Amino acid sequence: MSRPNAHPLAHPVLLAATALFAFPLVWMVLSSLKPASQLTENPYAFWPHRWEWANYPQALSAMPYARYLRNSLVLCIGSVAGSLFSCSVAAYGFSRLRWRGRDVVFGMVIATMLLPWHVTMIPRFLLLREVGLYNSLAALIVPTFLGDAFFIFLLRQFFLTIPDDISEAARLDGLGEWGIFTRIILPLSKPALATVALFQFIASWNDFNGPLLYLSDPQKFPLAYGLEQFVSSYSDQTHLLLAAAVLFTLPMVVLFLLAQRTFLKGIATTGIKG
Amino acid sequence: MVRREFLGPLFISPWLLGFLLLVVYPFAASLYWSFCQYDLFSPPRPVGLANYQRLAHEVATGGRFGQALWNTGYYALLSVPLSIAVGVTLAVMLSWKVRGQSFYRTLFFLPSVVPVVAASVLWLWLLDPRDGMVASCLAALGATNSLWFKGATEAVVPPGWFDFGSKDALILMAVWAAGNMMVIYLAAIGDIPTQLYEAAELDGAGPGRRLLHVTLPMLSPVIFFNLVMGLIQSVQAFTQVYLVSEGTGEPAGWSLMLSLHLFLAAFQDLDMGYASAMAWLLFVVLLAATIVLFRTARHWVHYQGVMR
Repeated sequence: MSRPNAHPLAHPVLLAATALFAFPLVWMVLSSLKPASQLTENPYAFWPHRWEWANYPQALSAMPYARYLRNSLVLCIGSVAGSLFSCSVAAYGFSRLRWRGRDVVFGMVIATMLLPWHVTMIPRFLLLREVGLYNSLAALIVPTFLGDAFFIFLLRQFFLTIPDDISEAARLDGLGEWGIFTRIILPLSKPALATVALFQFIASWNDFNGPLLYLSDPQKFPLAYGLEQFVSSYSDQTHLLLAAAVLFTLPMVVLFLLAQRTFLKGIATTGIKG
Repeated sequence: MVRREFLGPLFISPWLLGFLLLVVYPFAASLYWSFCQYDLFSPPRPVGLANYQRLAHEVATGGRFGQALWNTGYYALLSVPLSIAVGVTLAVMLSWKVRGQSFYRTLFFLPSVVPVVAASVLWLWLLDPRDGMVASCLAALGATNSLWFKGATEAVVPPGWFDFGSKDALILMAVWAAGNMMVIYLAAIGDIPTQLYEAAELDGAGPGRRLLHVTLPMLSPVIFFNLVMGLIQSVQAFTQVYLVSEGTGEPAGWSLMLSLHLFLAAFQDLDMGYASAMAWLLFVVLLAATIVLFRTARHWVHYQGVMR
């Protein structure tokens, strides 16, 4: 594709914009390695006077980090499994099978994306509490086994691109729908499934509202919520707060850098197919 | 063996179960409760329009709900267009033939990867009026000390240009994470047929006119999509609002957004009826806004392009 040539000012402008966007992050990482005294006495010095790596172990030991991390991983892995299962079967039903009323029902799937969570929050909370899920990570995991409109949409779009002849051939070979789904469609859809897994993992890792609503026992807090508890009790220890924030962010940054293609492709599809 | 016509419904049954239990039932229940007095301890007691009248009264007298409505509107109406403007600008610049395009793209995108909880810690610290980096930079530019999250500068009406308050800080956080949208625009620009640019060039259109008459019209469906989704999402913004004010909406209620006010009404005051009425009002307002946006779309969104 012949793109327009860059304006001579492109590089300076881009560099300045990058600096503005990246600065807060760079500043956060550098400051998390500064001694506490430097942050109060000389807050604007760019480089740490001394690289205070001890901030990190200190931040870790100031909270039950291992437990928070374990809860976060349980939450993330459980939710990823839930979304992969419920959304892929639903997407199969909406794309590879023909049945009466299918497109009307799919319209309802799309409509739920536009529904603000406020409207369903209270009854949903009371319902999950009623069935004994209050104060349990299951309250956050179980709903992922019941489908998510956006992921269903994303997978359906992908399934639709797989030629129907493949399914027909498998049917002639005597494979049932479940067999076609698990042995043909799913293996062909790895990129789309990876996108769903990635997005769900991030959503669960970052989720704050869920734990705030459903969890009361600190033993069950995932990192996102545990970090908030830490922030409110150590609000004057900036160096520890920043170290904890960096530790919490780092897995997401690493995940993004490793899976950049999946990331960018997934996000691009969200917008364009609208 | 299941009969063929039941296979489809069978495959979607997990979603269907979730839809009935976690969407349809809550939707109906909250509508009913919005006409009730309900504190969880005794069964819901119908009170007619009382909750809605209370909301209307609070709007008229500038009560908590009125304040939350104003704050949410201010936040949504500024943060969404600003994020779109920043996202489109970055995407257009990145679509030029520049070396290191992927490097820039990664860096612009990075802030949107930062979890909201960590971003809140970061910005609370950067915007600290005592020794925050941003405050000192603004002071160096000759601005009076803005209080950002810590004070009620917005009580001064009209505020000066540099008198930023909590809502402006939240908008800044949203714009910082606009790299998310940039990726969508960048992909959409990549899909614009080259012939359109060539034709425009033959007609003597310079870079500025090509941007105005080719790129932006071809991007308009994506911009429209992001406008609608952005509006819906920004009205629901909760985590950052909760975190920067430690769940209070303080100072002086200036960062009390609808979502936080609703949350506090439901789970602190146990006023489920009032909270449900608020949720429904919000839903109806959002629905109306979406319909109005779709009505205006035919005047500025170009659907004759390659994209649907």
